[in-house]
Amino acid sequence: MKTSARTTILLLLPAVAIYVVLLALPLSTVLEQSFRVFTPGRIGSEAGASLTTENYSELFVPVYAHYFIRTYLLAFCASVIALIFAFPIAYYIARNASSMARKSWISALIGLLFLSSLVRIYAIQLTLGPVGILGPAMSFFGVNMSGGPYLNFVIVAGLLHYQIPMSILILIGAVLNLNPRLTEAAQALGASAFSSHRTVTLPLCIKGLISAFLVSMTLGVSAFAVPWILGQGRVLFISNLIYSRFGEVGNYPSGAAFSVAMIVLSLLLIFLMSRLTTLLDRT
Amino acid sequence: MNVLELKNVTKKYGEHVAVDGVCLDIEKGKVLSLLGPSGCGKTTTLRIIAGFTSHDSGIVEISGKNVGHLRPYERNVGLLFQDYALFPHLTVAQNVAYGMRYRGTPSSVIPSRIKQMLSLVRMSGMEGRYPAQLSGGQQQRVALARALATDPQIVLLDEPLSALDAKLRVELRIELKEILRSVDATTIVVTHDQEEALSLGDEVVVMQAGKIVQRGTPTQIYAAPADKFVAEFVGRSNWFHGATRDRFTGGVSSYITSEGAEIRAKSAQSEQCGRADLCIRPESIELVEEAAGAIAPDPERNVLTGVVFDVAPLGADVHVVIELPGKTRLLVIRKNIDRIPAVVPGQSVRAVFAASDVLLFSDRR
Repeated sequence: MKTSARTTILLLLPAVAIYVVLLALPLSTVLEQSFRVFTPGRIGSEAGASLTTENYSELFVPVYAHYFIRTYLLAFCASVIALIFAFPIAYYIARNASSMARKSWISALIGLLFLSSLVRIYAIQLTLGPVGILGPAMSFFGVNMSGGPYLNFVIVAGLLHYQIPMSILILIGAVLNLNPRLTEAAQALGASAFSSHRTVTLPLCIKGLISAFLVSMTLGVSAFAVPWILGQGRVLFISNLIYSRFGEVGNYPSGAAFSVAMIVLSLLLIFLMSRLTTLLDRT
Repeated sequence: MNVLELKNVTKKYGEHVAVDGVCLDIEKGKVLSLLGPSGCGKTTTLRIIAGFTSHDSGIVEISGKNVGHLRPYERNVGLLFQDYALFPHLTVAQNVAYGMRYRGTPSSVIPSRIKQMLSLVRMSGMEGRYPAQLSGGQQQRVALARALATDPQIVLLDEPLSALDAKLRVELRIELKEILRSVDATTIVVTHDQEEALSLGDEVVVMQAGKIVQRGTPTQIYAAPADKFVAEFVGRSNWFHGATRDRFTGGVSSYITSEGAEIRAKSAQSEQCGRADLCIRPESIELVEEAAGAIAPDPERNVLTGVVFDVAPLGADVHVVIELPGKTRLLVIRKNIDRIPAVVPGQSVRAVFAASDVLLFSDRR
């Protein structure tokens, strides 16, 4: 059936309207704000404030640049660790578990994602935090529980709480798509269990691995409550900075500039990862 | 010396016995077909030999060495999977080279060996292609080259031709046989396809319910099946169930079938049979029209009168179904080149077959 151009436009109209009102408009407001001069004491920029790029040059001030580096670095570490933990579990669930066990695993993982983020965060706080049950052990080993390195570790643990179940769910799909005969073929040809996974399973799951990594990165970079609570105010992410700009200081232009920078960085990351996928994926 | 020897190998899955005391041996350079319906344990047997499934009891020996405790990659067994299992992310050349890297082929030899293997399977010039760019038949050839490249002690083929269409299957079957012979590969072909089994194998082993029922040359399996199951599974057959009525000299006995017809059978075993299953291969039956006049009586010949039910000309063969009194149907296969009577449905004909063509299986029920 052929649809005329007019019908196509009419059919697209509702979706376009929703996108304009709910996505393009708010984003353009943010973009517009990010170029305005801010007068301290106000909430948001003055109507008709003059244009400036100062909000962006502020990003390169070491203090702020550190927020970016820390956010992306910790999210990156957590995402990589999540993949390392998630892949063998996903492989086991997809390959070795009975269909009954697989169903229970998947339900449990989805259930875990439904758990309130605050519950998870306080659970970690109660385990690894200064008054947590592991506190005495940590102080026994001489770990400074208020020091930066330890707080980074606790934040990564907090991020993993989201990322591991999510990655497992994504990777189960990738492993299920893989012909189990391929691993057997590799082993029949003399590759050890480890070699067969390295040369066959991993390269063929690369799409799933990159998707899981990107989703983990997204969850990690945009984390707000995890660093907010587990960072004890000492280690904060960009999201916390943006919140304080908007909510506490009322400096909308600066908060908007941070937000735009984050969007650009994330798009760049997605672009790089998809390039990487095309390079690595030979299937 | 036998390249492979299975002694009393048994594998159970819970209560289900998948492989039940299988004894099997194969000489160097021979091709053995393992034939049976799905679920008969032939694939489990293959997986036990390859090392992917562990057996519960018995001994698996390759070249006189017990390999029961060895992992698949510690045995030198070439395996061709039903779906070929080519590595989709590697080129044809990389696929063929894969096993050589692990089996210790010197890297200086690998390129020439790839060339040699690909020319063996007539895939020269395809080195740089990916499996997705190949047809089913080509993938099969590459998979075979990959399995043979490491010079395995034994080659296992799992339903090697079942994924191909009928015409290609026949072509590749002949080529496969030629390739296996040229590299002197000791081979086990696992299949449920009797044509594949009979044409590829120097010997055929028929399995049922985890047990070996018969082992013999393809001709023996077809002409002298060990039991009713083998006769039914290999080739087409017409069956009657009957009780002995008379015994004559020369090993001929006559049976009254449950439909009331009399069939004479000549067989060495007929002496012991009280009740028996009678099997007649469709190609050993002649059709004689009513118009041809009376047939001279012969104690070693059977004549059954019936009505033609269906005539199906299938190219080289013509399948004629005759309905005998009592609604029993008889399949008759004649070569199209024979001057077969131009029978039409509804016509009355006589089905004539020799008593010695009746296979007799005593009924132990």
